[in-house]
Amino acid sequence: MTTTSPVGAEIDRVEGRAKVTGAARYAADQRVNGKAYGYLVQSTIGLGSISSMNTAQALAAPGVIAVYSPFNPLKLYARQGDSAERYVPLQDDKVRFRGQIIGLVVAESFEQARDAAALVRTQYREEGHPRTSVAAAAPGTTVPSDAVGYPGPPSKNTVLAPGVASIDDALRDSAVTVESTFYQDPQNHCAMEPHATIAEWRDGRLTVYVGAQGPQQYAAALAGRLGVESDRVHVVSPYVGGGFGGKYKVWNDALVTAAAARDLGRPVKLVVSREQAFILNGHRPALQQTVKLGASHDGVLNAVWHETDSEDSVVGYCPNLPAEVTRALYKTPNLHFDQRQVTLDLPPISSMRAPWATPGAFALETAMDELAVKTGVDPLTLRLRNYATTSPETGRPWSSKHLDECYRVGAERFGWADRSPVPGTRVDGEWLVGMGMASGMLSATRAPASARVRFRDDGTVTVASAISDLGTGATTMLAIVAADALGVSLKTVSAELGDSALPPGVPAIGSIVTGSTVPAVQAAARDAITALITLAVQDAASPFHGKNSTDVHYQEGRLEADGRSVSFAQLLRAVGNPAVEAIATTAPGAETTRYAMDSFAAHFCEVRVNRYTGEPRVSRFTTVVDVGRVVNAKALRSQLVGGIIFGIGNALLEVNAIEDNGRLANSSLADYLVPVNADIPAIDTHWLDYPDTVFSEFGSRGMGELTTVGSSAAVGNAVYNATGIRIRDLPITLDKLIA
Amino acid sequence: MTERERSEEPGDGLSRRGLLGRASAMAVGAAVVSTSSPGAAFASDTAAAVPPAVGEHLVDVRLSVNGRPVRLRADPRWTLLDTLRERLELTGTKKGCDRGQCGACTVHVDGRRVLSCLTLAAAADGSQVRTIEGLADGDELHPMQQAFIDHDGFQCGACTSGQIMSAVALVDEGHAASDDEIREYMSGNICRCSAYPFIVDAVKAASKVMR
Ligand code: FES
Ligand code: FES
Repeated sequence: MTTTSPVGAEIDRVEGRAKVTGAARYAADQRVNGKAYGYLVQSTIGLGSISSMNTAQALAAPGVIAVYSPFNPLKLYARQGDSAERYVPLQDDKVRFRGQIIGLVVAESFEQARDAAALVRTQYREEGHPRTSVAAAAPGTTVPSDAVGYPGPPSKNTVLAPGVASIDDALRDSAVTVESTFYQDPQNHCAMEPHATIAEWRDGRLTVYVGAQGPQQYAAALAGRLGVESDRVHVVSPYVGGGFGGKYKVWNDALVTAAAARDLGRPVKLVVSREQAFILNGHRPALQQTVKLGASHDGVLNAVWHETDSEDSVVGYCPNLPAEVTRALYKTPNLHFDQRQVTLDLPPISSMRAPWATPGAFALETAMDELAVKTGVDPLTLRLRNYATTSPETGRPWSSKHLDECYRVGAERFGWADRSPVPGTRVDGEWLVGMGMASGMLSATRAPASARVRFRDDGTVTVASAISDLGTGATTMLAIVAADALGVSLKTVSAELGDSALPPGVPAIGSIVTGSTVPAVQAAARDAITALITLAVQDAASPFHGKNSTDVHYQEGRLEADGRSVSFAQLLRAVGNPAVEAIATTAPGAETTRYAMDSFAAHFCEVRVNRYTGEPRVSRFTTVVDVGRVVNAKALRSQLVGGIIFGIGNALLEVNAIEDNGRLANSSLADYLVPVNADIPAIDTHWLDYPDTVFSEFGSRGMGELTTVGSSAAVGNAVYNATGIRIRDLPITLDKLIA
Repeated sequence: MTERERSEEPGDGLSRRGLLGRASAMAVGAAVVSTSSPGAAFASDTAAAVPPAVGEHLVDVRLSVNGRPVRLRADPRWTLLDTLRERLELTGTKKGCDRGQCGACTVHVDGRRVLSCLTLAAAADGSQVRTIEGLADGDELHPMQQAFIDHDGFQCGACTSGQIMSAVALVDEGHAASDDEIREYMSGNICRCSAYPFIVDAVKAASKVMR
């Protein structure tokens, strides 16, 4: 009897039953007895200081236990712990942005805390006008990417062909040029689970229930800010209700919750309101960017130029580097980019699903569409004509790249040949119909990772790593890879993650979880088999005692030697061991310095724009990807579709407009539009099957963010094809289309 | 430099809190789970988790939740959502916005889908409430739950309870006749993971079994 490997098959999520029955406990669902409830007080000015706070009424309100403020601060440390924001709350009277945390009310019930928070009276000194406009403050400063904790390729670079004096010369000497400037206001993650923290201290040790994209990284940062050793903070995060980059770092709401629980000697629960999450838990920054392309008459690129000015909040936390795609997508002899940051007095920014590549690809891939129009070359042909086989910046070849096949297969599935190159010529009743395409690309990264595989005497196997499942399917991935590596049935494997006490795992950022963790699980499985065999030959109670370990073979959950076959459970029971296990750590090698490594996508989109109202609707979408070997077809399809829909939201709906006073105007789910079911047509996805064995032996690259990259450009290019109107300021809304 | 005083009330405009009025709202209540049928849904630590009743203005609320009688001395501010989650430990129902904007908190009240964040517990007095925890028949999943697993109608799961409660209701309402109708009638439930096409598949599949 042979166990079929689950790798690449359509596998249901192993935690599916818990999620459809309501049994899955997210942070705010955890049962902790004796807890008090916190509610945050926020500043109502954008820049200045607090001259006084009257908390007497709040303190006197029923059920109130404590009111913390800059005048009654919590003990936190500003210099330790890599938490999200560059300041620590309640330590000084400064107001840095509108909506900053300036107080915390703790009460016996949620309702009491919330209502008492409204009773706090604050007097401010406004000090000047907050800086809120990227355009007004541009050009910003080029910050070396490694200077801000993001080591990697430079923030600014120029590559010139021999004999070319400057990038301006290269552009001037090109037969055809395109120059376009793009703008977008902030966008928000809007994970359906708002940030929630339950903090409980016992004997100087903190257990914190929170949705964390990296439980161990979260524990370390929190411990630093609280001034305790990392091993005193235990992060429990078995389920995360969506992250999209917004639940990686420790935000200040979690810091004050943990500090208040310590101060009160009592568990505290704090769930930010949806409106607070929009302000306090990060946003995709406002961004202005310009792309210039120089090409021959038939569209062959001679120069690619991309400069960006991105909002950087005065409180952090990450630089925006949108030229990530520009530096490598097309073959060009001359390349220039400069990614600048503009400091503004706005709420914190953070990484949001393909934080750099998503806005960057919108600009580059829209500009490429403009070049197609200007040269009269079909957009798909234009891309194949400029296809890169080595990175134009570094000269390295790709570990595995089949984007050309993605283009061709996608065009075929979508029916790209039926596209009319002349905008506004396909009409269906009151709808103008258009088609657009674009490319997507996302760097594939592996990081050191550990995993544990354990055989148990009840016949089950557990696989564990301190990673996190945000809905990505990471739990199922662990189980699939362990079942495959051990040749056992998926049903016998249970996966553990979302706990900082497990073997070191990579955080769920940059789509690195699968690529990094699969090799670790495979290595742990191999080591666990070795440990099992060692036990079998060494333990006196084992039927294989005294045999040479090379004569004992493991196959599909059984040990065999001399015609005798024993299951691992039988062996463990015979020797009286509850389990045998191994922990393994793996890391990428020298290949990372020799190859470029990326995942790729080709997007094709059909839109319908109402002739009378200007309303744009996506009516069809096809995406074909090259992501290496696929672990779980079902989870992959969901991730691809989810990413495309994120891109549709990015293109057509999402904006949190900045008001002059520093208020983010659309901070609710009524005012900030995300796609709903009626906005989304059937979506066709397809993946090529080329395991990337340079990247790892298993050959699986990450893909969680990939399809958000370029999908918004495909929508915008289709809108142009439908209407002849080019919108460069996102989102593309109907008011911009009724010219 | 100017100096002025402002209220710290987060957000802008009217809130439910303002509408209720504070004078009548300062109270703490307690939940008393009927001891006649202590079910698995009401864990044994329920009593310990509920603060003692110290307030005034408490109101008596009687509900049937997933077929079990529940008697509450309720703070009039309690929403049905917070009552389920914080008092009855039925945390399957999720809070995505607390403002009626996302659908995560959808439950059935007397057979109709309602947003439990916009329903006060006191206003639900006397009604039959059904939550995601009450959908399966023992170990046997409701066809809609099974269809969500089969079609991968979710990723993170945070919207899923609400999606499933809406989906069950829309089939009963007779609104699952076409893909477009399902899309329209499921559009009160946001899924940020964007499982939308698979939710449509799941509703279609389950509606055939449910008929
Ligand atoms: S929580 Fe009730 S609609 Fe969002
Ligand atoms: S499954 Fe994550 S929001 Fe719907």
